[in-house]
Parts: sequence; C-alpha cells; structure tokens
Amino acid sequence: MEDLKPARQTVTRPGLRPDALTRAWIALVALSGASALVAALAGVQIDRRLAGAVVLALALVKSRLILSRYLGLWRAPSWRRGFNLTLTLFGLLLLALYLVAGVTS
Amino acid sequence: MTQNVETPSILDELPGELMIWVLIVSELLVFGAGLAVFLAVRLTDPVGFAEAQDHLHRTGAALNTVVLVTSGFLAARALRLREAARRGAARLALVAAAALGAVFLVIKGAEYADKAAQGIAWDTHAFFTFYYLLTGFHAAHVAAGVVILLLVAWRDEPANIETGAAFWHMVDLVWVLLFPVVYLLG
Repeated sequence: MEDLKPARQTVTRPGLRPDALTRAWIALVALSGASALVAALAGVQIDRRLAGAVVLALALVKSRLILSRYLGLWRAPSWRRGFNLTLTLFGLLLLALYLVAGVTS
Repeated sequence: MTQNVETPSILDELPGELMIWVLIVSELLVFGAGLAVFLAVRLTDPVGFAEAQDHLHRTGAALNTVVLVTSGFLAARALRLREAARRGAARLALVAAAALGAVFLVIKGAEYADKAAQGIAWDTHAFFTFYYLLTGFHAAHVAAGVVILLLVAWRDEPANIETGAAFWHMVDLVWVLLFPVVYLLG
C-alpha cells in the first residue's frame, strides 16, 4: 500500500537558498528579538496595551512556526489548522485577560 | 473476491508517534491553564505584578529564547540528517542541541540565584509563586529533554530521534508562550 505520508523535507545542498527549516529558525530568532524590543519600548514610545498585543501576536507567530516546521505539521494541514485555531483562541483569551487588568487598575 | 482496504485515519497524518502528540497536547493544556490563571490572578493586583516583574532579567530570558529555538533547530536538523543516512552529523547535532539545553539551564540557574540574592522567594508575592511554578516546571522539562536528546543520540534510530526531538520542540513551544506572558506583559 502506498505510503500516505507526504515526503519529508530534504537537507539543503550548500550554496542554495536556506531550506524551510533554516528559514523558520532565522524567523524565530528575529521574532524573539522583535518581542524583546517591543517590550522594552512599552510605556515609553509605544502604548503598553498595544505593546502587549504585539508581543502576544509575535508569540503566536512563533508557536505556529514551531508547530509547522519543527514539529512537522506542515505535512498534516488539517492538524496544523486545528492547532493554529486553538492557539489563536488561547492567545485571544490571554490578550483579553491582559487588557482587562489595564481597565480595572 | 472482496478486498479489505483500510480507510486511513486522520491520526495517520500526524508526523511521528501518536503518543508523543498526546503528551504534547497534555503539556500544552497544563502550561496553558497555568498561564491563563497567572493572568487571571494578575487582575487582582496588576500594579503589584508589574512591580514584581521589574525584578526579572528580561535580557537573560530573551537570550534563553534564542538558545532554545536554536537548540530546537538543531534537533529538527538532526532528524533530517539521520534520514539522509548522515548518522555522525545527526548525533553531533543532537549533542549540540542538548548542550544548548544545558546552557538554558545555566542561565536559568543564574536568574534564580539573582532572585535569591535579592531576597526574593516563591512566597514574596503571588507573581513569584507563579514565576517559580511555571518556569521551574518548564526547567524540569528542559532537564528531562537534555537527557532524552542524549539518549536518542546514542540509540539513533530515526523513529527515536523523531520522538525525542518532538518532546524537545514541545519544550520550545511552551517557552515561546511562557516567556512573553511572564517576562514581557507588564
């Protein structure tokens, strides 16, 4: 019976464009730096609530990258959609809890 | 003659072992609940939480994020290398990933030592109760992950590496959610 799992990613040959895994790692490092930068500017040059929303959005993007490229869910699109949807809803819950604290304080 | 053709289950689409995904989902639920409760308790004292958070070393934690995502990259790369029959390179990548896990723990240990030097303990404030609970539980997973990475570097069947790396990515995934909530949301 034919293997139902799609073919795995291959290791990139030297001299070619970085493969999807390497691009994911570069993006994760860049997004982590961006998170730290936004947090450092919070309350100084950026509104705290906006900064919090951006930091959570960046965390969501990072988690999607890890699920897709590190954990290999790019090979299972329906599962990837399910995880992404659940994480997005969870991120919205965290954002709501964060913003409500700003209103009540 | 009739032929029995099994309909593929959606579970077959998941990469790797099903049980590691059960573990990943379980861990995400546990840490997710912890983070949600952390922010819910913060509602009772947002100013106190913000003041307590100012005692954290954000740069060290940001550095640890880079350390962990790089370690995850090496673990994922190890699987690709092993599948390409490059066993030596795969083992090297796994050992390097484990070493970065150890670096994460050293930085975390320095962070805890700094808190202790400031006289900050788990019961200093509700913020620190959650801080120690969440980051300590996560650090325990990192320590377990380092051992697992070394174990699969030794017993380097592709399926073993895939399972060990998946555990490590779960630890990575939890950290990228934990870090902004505990360290950055002021």
